[in-house]
Amino acid sequence: MKTALTIAAEEWRYWIRSKLALAVIALFAVMLVSVSWVTVLRMQAASAELDHHQAEAEETFVAQPDRNPHRMVHYGHYVFRSPVPLASFDPGLDSVTGQAMFLEGHRQNSATFSASAASGDPGGLSWLTPALTYQVFAPLLLILLGHSAVVREREARVLPSLLAQGVSGRSLMAGKILALLVFILLLLVPLGVIALLAVTTGESLMAAAALVGVYFLYLSVWGGITVLLSSAFSKRSSVIAALAAFWLMVTLVLPSIAVNVASVTAPLAGKIEMELAMLTEQKDLSDGHSVSNSQVEQLSAELFQQYGVNRLEDLEINIRGLLAQKAEEKLTLAMNAYADKRMASELRQTELLTAQGWLTPMIAVAAASRAISGTDMQHYHRFLRQAEELRYDFVQDINQVHAEQLSYVDDINRNRDEESYNRSRVDAANWQLLDEFRFDTASASSRLASAGTPIGMLLFWLAVLFALLTWTGGRLKP
Amino acid sequence: MSNAVKLRADQLEIVRSGKKVLGGISFDVASGEVYALLGGNGAGKSTTLLGFLGLLPLSGGSIFVNDIEVGSDLKKVREAIAYLPESVSLYEHLDAYENLRYFLQLAGTPYDRSKVEAALDRVSLDLESRGRKLTGYSKGMRQKVAISLAILRDTEILLLDEPTSGLDPAAIDEFHDLVRDLASSGKTVLMVTHDVYGACQVADRIGLMQDGKLVGEFTAADGERIQTETVHRAFSDRHPKNPQVA
Ligand SMILES: Nc1ncnc2c1ncn2[C@@H]1O[C@H](COP(=O)(O)OP(=O)(O)OP(=O)(O)O)[C@@H](O)[C@H]1O
Ligand SMILES: [Mg+2]
Repeated sequence: MKTALTIAAEEWRYWIRSKLALAVIALFAVMLVSVSWVTVLRMQAASAELDHHQAEAEETFVAQPDRNPHRMVHYGHYVFRSPVPLASFDPGLDSVTGQAMFLEGHRQNSATFSASAASGDPGGLSWLTPALTYQVFAPLLLILLGHSAVVREREARVLPSLLAQGVSGRSLMAGKILALLVFILLLLVPLGVIALLAVTTGESLMAAAALVGVYFLYLSVWGGITVLLSSAFSKRSSVIAALAAFWLMVTLVLPSIAVNVASVTAPLAGKIEMELAMLTEQKDLSDGHSVSNSQVEQLSAELFQQYGVNRLEDLEINIRGLLAQKAEEKLTLAMNAYADKRMASELRQTELLTAQGWLTPMIAVAAASRAISGTDMQHYHRFLRQAEELRYDFVQDINQVHAEQLSYVDDINRNRDEESYNRSRVDAANWQLLDEFRFDTASASSRLASAGTPIGMLLFWLAVLFALLTWTGGRLKP
Repeated sequence: MSNAVKLRADQLEIVRSGKKVLGGISFDVASGEVYALLGGNGAGKSTTLLGFLGLLPLSGGSIFVNDIEVGSDLKKVREAIAYLPESVSLYEHLDAYENLRYFLQLAGTPYDRSKVEAALDRVSLDLESRGRKLTGYSKGMRQKVAISLAILRDTEILLLDEPTSGLDPAAIDEFHDLVRDLASSGKTVLMVTHDVYGACQVADRIGLMQDGKLVGEFTAADGERIQTETVHRAFSDRHPKNPQVA
């Protein structure tokens, strides 16, 4: 251990003397600061804008005048998903999944893109996020700095004297890795800062720390690979070629193959196909307005018995509101079944993609990073479910108002003349029933749990590398 | 036990890149003795030293350091040996002190500044150079630092591969004195050299190597004339003249 520390310290002295570490750190700092700056600003702007839209939509809804309740069901409402705190590090799927949704009775609309700063990308550079910088470019810097670790000693003929002096190959490799680990910690400082900023805007400390931890594991994998390949060749140029090829494979080639494999193996039914199928089924159900005669008869009978009357007009409650509730419930069950099916197939595709993290740590870290940040597929689904819950609640609440505050007689006569129509309105104070919408992430512990598999993959990579490094270290050639 | 055998090769065979480089050589060196290996390029001298360090696998025979079979306890063997490699292997970005400190630290030898100065005085490396990076050193200056490292290790055994290469005649004389002093303080020295007359001057025994074999062994008591003739034969036989040119 003492030997390893001595070697690690010497490696740092070499980096500092050769100005290499400094140049590499400066390069990374410039890149990361500019990327983070842009992303953080973009997310802040998006957040402010979407929160503003949300508040405005809520104000507009509750400010509606006295209206016929069913018209309010169709008037609808908007929800907006503003970015979660860690999205300023890893926006994940946010940029492709839409953040606005129109909620109305009898329909589940798709999420769309709000014309906001989050989707605006004048430079075409929004794909470059801090997360991607860490996933793709930080390894490159580790390679730049660490590729010569062992091969340099071999080329300078120092390796035989080191070994002859009783320095074991293992402690030599351990020292080089230790030096790189310290460098990795340094690379993680900006991420730490972004994570802490997220904590100040409501993120849990555990999730923020876990995110830093995951990237530490990932970059350690790269540190291990760099030293391993540096010890495997006798010429520096061969090491560089091998590392460059490996980097290309792991960060570019394999991930794009993986995405294709996932979408070919587990294709999603097209959104439109699925909606058509659903609409056909809905035709058989009802469109939310008309209910079947048998249903009307059954409900009327129940109500007559309950209230001890025998005419709809004499009921204290408006059966049309209750019927609307029943229709909405039935329709929603059917729509939810479709939505669940679609989400399940999207999840299957995501899982298939993540499974390929066994082949490239880049996919593993990307999956873990999105899961912990709250910007993965599951969180998109969480948004869809939260929006649907709000939609169902306000539609059914309005139907309840319809049943309780609008008399059956006024209701059926509403189209007779203007005065009748005015009698079919209910008090505007009722629109206060709308709940506020605020998209939030799952709890830190459940996000960590869903990052479990990709974290396991990273640990697997580390274990394999540890075994390989121990083995090569034990038989290091001078 | 001043005559204890410190280094022993017994029918030593080593294959490198599929070629038998050492074809069964046997010799031993006792404590307080200086043994020089002499021979033409590619005869297998450096390979022999690497064998004692356990840096190359043996394909036959056996090799002992301090009566320990080399492969059985590399750590102990390497602790007992200071090795001066054929080509200087020090760090260019460090000065003489930093190099010595680093390598001594790795070898587990305490760094003592006054001992370091004494060792550098002993190889007469000029004072002002000592604090400069090795990038600005001449070949001989580097060699001097490497020799001082070998002395500072203060081991029982020294394996020196062409220690005088790059040294000027005065430095060579000083080096020979140094080796004699080391031997008289009980150290065992096995050195490789191309310097026939130097070897006669400093070594107690000289082993003559040719094509991976030990073809002769002389003591300093042998007449210089015989040595010289035999040695000349060893150096020239491997390179028969091109008959057409002759
Ligand atoms: N790294 C190596 N890999 C494979 N073969 C080698 C290597 N180094 C030396 N050899 C071979 O081993 C043989 C002996 O080489 P060695 O270096 O021991 O010779 P030497 O006596 O020290 O020569 P010199 O006086 O030139 O230093 C040579 O034939 C050479 O071709
Ligand atoms: Mg040699």
